[in-house]
Amino acid sequence: MLVTLCCLMLQAIPPNVILVKGAVPGASDSSTPLPEGGAVRERAYENGYFGLTYPLPADWTENVLGPPPSDGGSYVLSTLIPSEKVTGAGIAPIRGSVLISAQDLFFNENPATNAKEVVAYVRGRLPRSQSVERAPAEVRIGGRTFTRLDYGAPIAGLHWSLLATDVRCHAVEFVFMARDTATLNGLVAGLAKTKWSDENSVPVCVADYAVPANVVTRVEPLFPVRRFNSIPVRLIIDLEGRVRHVHVISAFPDQTTAITQALLQWRFKPYVVDGKPREIETGLEFGSTPRHTASR
Amino acid sequence: MLANNPTTILDFFNDAKDRFEEVDSVFGTIPGEPGFGLGPRFNSRSCAACHAQPTVGGSAPGHNPQVVDAIADGAHNIVPTFITPTGPVREARFPFFFTAGVPDPSRPDGSVQDLFTIANRSDAVGCSTVAISQPDFANAQAQNNIIFRIPTPVFGAGLIENIEETSLLNNLAAQSGNTLGIHGTFNRNGNDGTISRFGWKAQNKSLEIFAGEAYNVEMGVSNELFTQERPLSTEELASGLPPICKLNATPEDHTNFNSTAIDTMSDTVQFAMFMRLLAAPVPSNTTPGGSGSIVRGNKLFESIGCIVCHTEQFTTNPSSITTSLHNANALLFSDLEIHHMGTTLADNVSQGTAGGDQFRTAPLWGVGQRIFFLHDGRTTDLLAAIAAHSSSGSEATQTVVNFNALAPGDKQHVLNFLRSL
Repeated sequence: MLVTLCCLMLQAIPPNVILVKGAVPGASDSSTPLPEGGAVRERAYENGYFGLTYPLPADWTENVLGPPPSDGGSYVLSTLIPSEKVTGAGIAPIRGSVLISAQDLFFNENPATNAKEVVAYVRGRLPRSQSVERAPAEVRIGGRTFTRLDYGAPIAGLHWSLLATDVRCHAVEFVFMARDTATLNGLVAGLAKTKWSDENSVPVCVADYAVPANVVTRVEPLFPVRRFNSIPVRLIIDLEGRVRHVHVISAFPDQTTAITQALLQWRFKPYVVDGKPREIETGLEFGSTPRHTASR
Repeated sequence: MLANNPTTILDFFNDAKDRFEEVDSVFGTIPGEPGFGLGPRFNSRSCAACHAQPTVGGSAPGHNPQVVDAIADGAHNIVPTFITPTGPVREARFPFFFTAGVPDPSRPDGSVQDLFTIANRSDAVGCSTVAISQPDFANAQAQNNIIFRIPTPVFGAGLIENIEETSLLNNLAAQSGNTLGIHGTFNRNGNDGTISRFGWKAQNKSLEIFAGEAYNVEMGVSNELFTQERPLSTEELASGLPPICKLNATPEDHTNFNSTAIDTMSDTVQFAMFMRLLAAPVPSNTTPGGSGSIVRGNKLFESIGCIVCHTEQFTTNPSSITTSLHNANALLFSDLEIHHMGTTLADNVSQGTAGGDQFRTAPLWGVGQRIFFLHDGRTTDLLAAIAAHSSSGSEATQTVVNFNALAPGDKQHVLNFLRSL
């Protein structure tokens, strides 16, 4: 009977669905917001982890979803395009796009440690066919500080504006693209409508806190299968030094299980500021080929 | 290979090419089919028959040899509907095992399901369709539990093999400054964790493993790297291949102890040598569209971000084999990383650390001479191939948006540039 019930549920494989996945994110609970947990709702991109609500420009819509987080802690949060692209009106070139992304600075594959340095790194590696149109500079938009870089590809007739801001030890990036600078500046101006949550309500981000000097109890994860992928992990440590939340950014399911089970048993010295313990968020890396050393 | 250095290397290459072109039969006794060890299951009878476009070592040709392979020498194979006279050469895989005839997502498979058997061939006495049968491709197609792969071209493979890992890792780090949402990784050899680089998912570490596996999987020839005859995945779970169809001692391809010099080498070793010494494609400066269009297309290709994954070039390591591979410029247009390509291109087959939607950036050198594009040869239209890079979960989506922001004339320049490679 059980076999019959089981098999009656099987059916043709649905098209265009990824059922066999590689390394994917995982978390110890479903209530704590995650960087990849944002979505477009009621014409705004909302992300509870980064505490942002970005209203979509008028007559724009979300493009397809992005890839899973990388093993270097990079996220594609949302991509937006003008609605006429979706309706397939004519064959006119698409007039612009918005890419919202984030880089976990604990696992960055380049030396940048904050949003300003991320932008400087981008500027230093623009391809030959692109040129700077506005040098990197700090700007205030909607009461928040960004580092802005404008660049363009004259041969393609395309312009970009990169605006990066620091949130919870991530560089959150808005990359606006347009065929003309008027549209580009309009998109940049629209960033002022973004709502940001109070960052005092989230854990303090502390790099490299999981070093031996701070770890009171350490339990090693037992990996059933030997692989060679890098596994970046973020964890939230509560006021008493216990691990409250584990976010495995990129791993195979058995690795996520092993790491989560182990880390939830770790004990840290509480992080104290001005004599008061604080809840913190930190990162560490597992895997045979970690990309980063403890000190940066 | 640019130079006959060392002086005997050309003899090795020519011998290797001859073997690559050789047609196999079960015992090597059929005139014109001197290769030994075909089957019991196979996809084609010759490496060069499938790796043929535009020349030996390439990709799928315009006329599919598999329709002849199916019935050659008295074989009684039914040609599956996805194999047509002018369609691409293909191998087929079932992403999932079947449970009671229905694909079961809880049981991933992904292994190659050879199209044909040697049953009823004139040189397979005793092995009939009673003993061995083809997989049920019709059922698999009806239930969308089948994917395809076309031959990957092997031009310039020696250059790829000789790129130092540090170069690849440095390129990965340099890519991290992109604002396109692209963040690849490497597939790694399961034994020692080093970067693997051959195959559609970069699942194979070296050319010899690549050659040995292909010889065994695609032509059914057991060899010193893959020493047993290969059953289907379902046969592997049961009692294996029917003994009556296993007609040769194994491994069928091996070192020839009674020979000297070049003849001593096994076919597999020589296949690897052929690929290693096979020159890379030479791009055209003028065709199609003229030099101005090609140059402009190259710059556009770079400016919109294609070049992030399709890295233009690497310099190889010093070579102990030949000066042609020594500190050489490999203009391959690939970072050799695996990237998420989204739902449109996903095949639900995992290989190494590559998941069901991750593929190695296909080297674009020679793409101008190819007929069929993408891993399964689904299109002959470059624009369609570009469009397929954008779908839910793909790292290439933003780059495709940039491409779609180009004026139509500039899109044509990009196509001309690609066709010039």
